[in-house]
Amino acid sequence: MNDSEQATLIPEGGEVGIVGCRDFVSGKPFHFESGGRIPELTLRYETYGQLNPVKGNAVLICHALTGNHHVAGVHSVDERKQGWWNFMVGPGKPIDTNKYYIICSNVLGGCSGSTGPESINPATGKRYNLDFPRLTVGDMVHAQAMLLDFLGIDKLHSVIGGSMGGMQTLQWATAYPDRVGSYIALACCARHNAQAIAFNDTGRQAIISDPDWMNGNYPDGRQPVQGLSVARMMAHITYLSDAGMEAKFGRKRGNRAAEEHFDVEFEVESYLRYQGQAFVSRFDANTYLYLTKALDRFDLHGPNGTLDETLQAVTASGLVVGFTSDWLYPPQGNREVVEALLRLGKDASYVELEMNAGHDSFLLCSSKLNALIRNFLARKQSL
Amino acid sequence: MSLGSKKRQVDFQVIARWVRPGERVLDLGCGRGVLLEYLQRVKSVYAVGVDIELDKILSCIKRGVSAYHGDVKPILSRFEENSFDRVIFSRSVELLEDPDNILAEGLRVGKQVTVGFVNHGFWKNRWDYFTRGRQALNEVYPKSWYEMHPANPFSVAEFEAFCRIREIKVNDRVYLCGNWRDECRYLPNLLTGYAIYDLSK
Repeated sequence: MNDSEQATLIPEGGEVGIVGCRDFVSGKPFHFESGGRIPELTLRYETYGQLNPVKGNAVLICHALTGNHHVAGVHSVDERKQGWWNFMVGPGKPIDTNKYYIICSNVLGGCSGSTGPESINPATGKRYNLDFPRLTVGDMVHAQAMLLDFLGIDKLHSVIGGSMGGMQTLQWATAYPDRVGSYIALACCARHNAQAIAFNDTGRQAIISDPDWMNGNYPDGRQPVQGLSVARMMAHITYLSDAGMEAKFGRKRGNRAAEEHFDVEFEVESYLRYQGQAFVSRFDANTYLYLTKALDRFDLHGPNGTLDETLQAVTASGLVVGFTSDWLYPPQGNREVVEALLRLGKDASYVELEMNAGHDSFLLCSSKLNALIRNFLARKQSL
Repeated sequence: MSLGSKKRQVDFQVIARWVRPGERVLDLGCGRGVLLEYLQRVKSVYAVGVDIELDKILSCIKRGVSAYHGDVKPILSRFEENSFDRVIFSRSVELLEDPDNILAEGLRVGKQVTVGFVNHGFWKNRWDYFTRGRQALNEVYPKSWYEMHPANPFSVAEFEAFCRIREIKVNDRVYLCGNWRDECRYLPNLLTGYAIYDLSK
């Protein structure tokens, strides 16, 4: 769900190298599920690998809440930080660029180049801010489907995503069954439990109660830095785990003695404050409000309150992966999706990986996760 | 061909005999998914495997067999009565902690249940114990106790008695000799190496 630092890379293949992003611009109005609309739409995206002549090898990767379209590689030779799933995507890697044409777009409502609350409303010449229509995961996926139309891709070989990306993946499988060949949803759920909503709302309240939020109308370059960074610090804790934090920080103290009573004293404090500060320089506060609300409202359960009614539409083969130490989207919520699929006679697998990095486990390079993704994508197709 | 794969083939063929094309099959303790892959191929079944070991599940996925990584008991409780045409326990009942209830659950979820097990009453097992005072080490239990032995082995006679007490209907039974190939016709509790039962409520 974030850009936490990557574990030591296990060299499993080559690199995609220097990559660039592109913009898909639709001049037609985009209609949201909520009834709102915007006059035009931009999605920023990156691709890796080559689309084959029959356009049958496309893999769509859906990013998490604060991720973006930059999945692998670097944008210039000077850039040290690679895309957020660099260990997973590349020549010879589990999502192999020698075989697949991989696409990832910044979500609708995002702030990394796609249209979102931070974008200029052509009707007013000012930022949308809170005039941006209410957003859903369904809207994000609808916008991605428009991108695929533009690229001339009728059917995806696979859709893959973790966390919010996992929810988009499940949305793809249920809303566009004809366009999905297979799917992999990691560290996800069919809907937020009370705890996840509670954390999101606490984050939103931190932003909204910051005087610099100004009812969402903060001027360019002056966002509610305090509120957004506190929201990020708290959310970041939910992406980790007790055991993971203990191993990484324990009660270690920084080098300098704290001068003031409430200065940074423990390393974990310093780490989280840094995470908060780094976040505000790259993420927009209103976007954070919109995206977290879209997640809270996401619910795959049908009108009668069962998953089975909605998942009946799925035709693709699927894999859902839970992580034992994920307490934000616990294994149970991942399992439930597969249990419903199996009740319905769908082709679906559930795997629970024992990793101690919490919710963010799917962003960490591990031989088990790599083998799993590799095996699923290379699996024998049943008759 | 190794003895292991020969063993596998025979009980696959027996189980496949009882499975009708296109059925819904749930294999509890599915291992690497070899049986289900075979049933998918020869009977075009809808197959789901359950296993607790990640490595096994990874193999199932590679084979294109739907697999659920987890304990047998909780997943059974997620399914309605008669959700599957057949529930298979192939060499897994002797590993269960609570075989009585799990078999009852299997019979609730499946219209029919297949149980395959090594006969603990096989004469060579008795011989090993009585003459040497040691756990069986022979063609039906090829590994020594410290490598792998089922926690709760049982005999053909014990399983027959269990089915009677629980009023489980035995539709068919196949007894294989210690060579895992020929059918065993007499004194099954003494001469059977491997037994396969077709059960229903």
